[in-house]
Amino acid sequence: MDMECDLLVIGGGMAGLVAGTLAAEAGLSTILLRKGQSATAYSSGAIDIIGYLPDASEPFSTPEEGLAAIAGLYPLHPYSIIGYVDGIKPEDVVDEIVGRTRDTITWLKEKLKDTIAPLSGDFKSNIFPITILGTTKPTCLVQKTMYSEDLQTREDSVLLFTGFSGNADFNPSVAAKTYLEDRIAIGEPPRKVGHCTLRVSPFGKPYNVSSVEIARHLDHERSIEDLATQLKPQVEQLGATHVAVPPVLGIKTAMDNKKKLEDQIGAEVFEMLGFPPSVPGLRLQLALEEMYRTNGGKMLVGHEATSYIKTEGRITKVSAKAPRREMNIEAKAFILSTGKYIGGGLSGDENGIRETVFGLMTVTDAYHSAGEIIPSRYTNRIAISPEGHPINSCGLTLDPHFRPINEDGVEWASNLYSAGAVLAGYDYSIEKSGLGVAAVSGFSAAKHAIDFIKEVA
Amino acid sequence: MCMSDSEFDVVVIGGGSTGTAVARDCAMRGFRTLLLERDDIASATVGTCAGMISSGLKYRSEPDIMKMCSTEVVHLNRIARHIIMKNPILTPFRDLSDVGSDMEYVESYSEHAEERDVPEMMFLTPEATIAIEPLLHPDVVFSVYYEEFFIDPFRLCLLQALDAKRHGAEIKTYCEVIGFETVNDVIQGVVFYNRITGTTEKIGAKIVVNAAGPWAPKIAGFSGAELELRLNKGAHIILDRRVVNVGISVKALDGRYIYLFPHENTTLLGTTALDTWEDPDSLVASFDEIEYLMRSIETYIPSIRDARIIRTMAGVRPLVADWKVPEGKVTRGYQVIDHENGLISFTGGKLVMCRHMAEAVTDIVSKKLGNDSACTTHEKPLPGNEADVDVEALSAEYGVSMHALERMRARRGTEMTKILELTKDHPEWKTTICTCEPIIEAEIRYAIREEFPQTLNDLRRRLRLGTGPCQGTFCTYKAASILSEELDLQGDDFLVDILDFRAERWKGIRPSMRGEQLAQEELAQGMYSCVGNLDQSDVDYDLKPWEEGV
Repeated sequence: MDMECDLLVIGGGMAGLVAGTLAAEAGLSTILLRKGQSATAYSSGAIDIIGYLPDASEPFSTPEEGLAAIAGLYPLHPYSIIGYVDGIKPEDVVDEIVGRTRDTITWLKEKLKDTIAPLSGDFKSNIFPITILGTTKPTCLVQKTMYSEDLQTREDSVLLFTGFSGNADFNPSVAAKTYLEDRIAIGEPPRKVGHCTLRVSPFGKPYNVSSVEIARHLDHERSIEDLATQLKPQVEQLGATHVAVPPVLGIKTAMDNKKKLEDQIGAEVFEMLGFPPSVPGLRLQLALEEMYRTNGGKMLVGHEATSYIKTEGRITKVSAKAPRREMNIEAKAFILSTGKYIGGGLSGDENGIRETVFGLMTVTDAYHSAGEIIPSRYTNRIAISPEGHPINSCGLTLDPHFRPINEDGVEWASNLYSAGAVLAGYDYSIEKSGLGVAAVSGFSAAKHAIDFIKEVA
Repeated sequence: MCMSDSEFDVVVIGGGSTGTAVARDCAMRGFRTLLLERDDIASATVGTCAGMISSGLKYRSEPDIMKMCSTEVVHLNRIARHIIMKNPILTPFRDLSDVGSDMEYVESYSEHAEERDVPEMMFLTPEATIAIEPLLHPDVVFSVYYEEFFIDPFRLCLLQALDAKRHGAEIKTYCEVIGFETVNDVIQGVVFYNRITGTTEKIGAKIVVNAAGPWAPKIAGFSGAELELRLNKGAHIILDRRVVNVGISVKALDGRYIYLFPHENTTLLGTTALDTWEDPDSLVASFDEIEYLMRSIETYIPSIRDARIIRTMAGVRPLVADWKVPEGKVTRGYQVIDHENGLISFTGGKLVMCRHMAEAVTDIVSKKLGNDSACTTHEKPLPGNEADVDVEALSAEYGVSMHALERMRARRGTEMTKILELTKDHPEWKTTICTCEPIIEAEIRYAIREEFPQTLNDLRRRLRLGTGPCQGTFCTYKAASILSEELDLQGDDFLVDILDFRAERWKGIRPSMRGEQLAQEELAQGMYSCVGNLDQSDVDYDLKPWEEGV
């Protein structure tokens, strides 16, 4: 089967869906190919912009501060690429980067406003939500159901950690202890925490109750009232002002459920940041897809890009395979946002790291070729440290138009753009910059692709 | 120093297969026994072996040893059959000249086959060979078929330790011997550092048995005695599932034999053999070792690189100090060395001989201390092997999947009913915590209460927690929560436990990292660093030996 469009996006996580939405919004016919579930759906659902510099220990209090530091120290970081604008004065570079990032975030917040994953927080400051381990991490935006107005500032706040029996994803007593110790050490509220365990059994069994199962259960009418009935006496007994629950408040009705719970128990309720398979990650993925479709984008799910035709420096066609059909898609421009190892945009073995769709040049964190590296040599001895592992900074390197480049520094194709985790030069796990880089690079790549398509047309 | 007036007949140093066997034998013969282990039970050499309780096939030049191995297999099958599996093995040949003139092993293997209840060694046609294992190279001209037994080495050591405890022995893990108290050069007491309490302690001892494996020379040195070993490094590659139907043993690139064994839920590819002088605690598999194993097996299983490598493991064999011969020619027998100062040391030996070694040394102890009770370690079952277990009936009764219960049975035998009993009051403990193995919460809680683990790594050795394809990505934090709750740990210690476990898994993952494991590790980093922010944690984390340096 053959299809035609202005822009073909390969990869359906944050970067691809932002890029596709922007193009569709600009009136371009847009198709997005997606092989399987994206890494975005595996995320905690919080949108990090920049939390730390690599190997640094002080978090940035604002994204702006972080972007300025990145621009100064890492000139090839995906955020820094934004600053390479023709004729720009050196003193304006940081403003350009900050401005583009702010625009992206403002745009995204607006676009997700009426979806199942509306966002809280803003570009002005980083926030420090609680994770299911009882730790905190810097991020910029969280879903409204994950946001607490004043837990960490209100002097008299009392926090109740609430878990679910048979749900091993979260242990309220251990998280409560870990969080309280941390707050006492830094002398900040809340000064009192407690914990309790509630019962929900979606399928009548009291064990192996998964987070997604609970969320689906809470999407059903009246199930939240039952929860409120169990929770209320616990809140009253502790005198809790705030209730932290694992991220399970619902897939479609999480916002309503939060409000209903709060009304009935008389305390603020918020979801913590959790591990995959994460309900907020799933909500974000669904919301982004809705945003893309609402703006007129078309999606091919379960399709993997397998080959392409390139003539005179331009890609003309990409073939994609699904279990029962093969598609040939002609487009004027292409965006590659296939992710890293989880997403499948990069793969590696003992002989090196490869880009999986076009066989583009891959580079290491130091921008040397990654085509023939032994992966283990690009790791550190310490498993978990602020240095991270260079193997997670491997990927594609770009020209100022967000086009992947060759060994000679020139773009590989005049109409191929790239965004998201497939890019080199940043380790999102240690920077806390994953979905931020994805959104901002997706936004930027799309801008350039749109300009290109309009010029050609 | 914390002085203690307790006096033991025997102090055993080392909680490996030999040390725990000695403690069991001594306790069963009525000696007041203490076992001191600097880390956890089965945390060094034995924990990095393939678990084969070998018929001694490789040691056919030593007929006495082959006979002893065979007898020990029979004993182990009697006392610990619940943790033993039988593996058929093929040794395929692509070239007749590879076979060599030495076919004696067929006879030596078959000589003792009957007592082990296995068929005599057989020659198979290429068709029969490929029918058994279709992954084999089509050019195979014939193969040799035989059967060997495999034991869960962690459970063996732990069950020996628990059985010793039941017979009155004291087992102290995380207690590192740092010296001896001597009078006229004869040992009167043992000084050790207790890493849990952070104190130095001393206890009296009539006889000390040095079963410290690679560290035996160091222990002997504390008493002024000299002991030499030939330390030899062996590395394995671990694949994510049972990729072959039977064990495959082939001639490697250098003419040694290597093997690919289905083992529990995984497949082991090993081993290398390199003389080593490095600190055993910091050893990891090298790129060369990994390639040597892959290229060697690839000549017989061409598609092996399609399999997913989840990790490597490396350990040190404490061989008898025979030099100027290849590692394979060093005797696999053991020596018992009486230093005549109250200390008796072991050198050499194999997993299969651990009970035999214990019997030999306990005979000497008995003689010295004037006790004539007979050894019964080959007759009395280890805990869990008292009767058969009906997994099907238990699955129906408790509503836990047969698969989970069969895995539990392979660790625990009859003991599993005690675990399932716990779920009557706590049905939520039927929740699966480690999905790869799988392991339910009740077994984790039971192990914490009954099997003295201090860390998540100790739980791994007892339960195979975090040893599957995801390498603990999804169970580390869940199991850490349970451990914290049961041991009432502080929040910081909960986080340290997570970091320690990730560090230990990473040690083995890192050298062979490729393919799907890149995605697995991106996910693990995404969870523990990106979301959990543990890379920024300010807890007191001690660097591990393999993490030190640049």
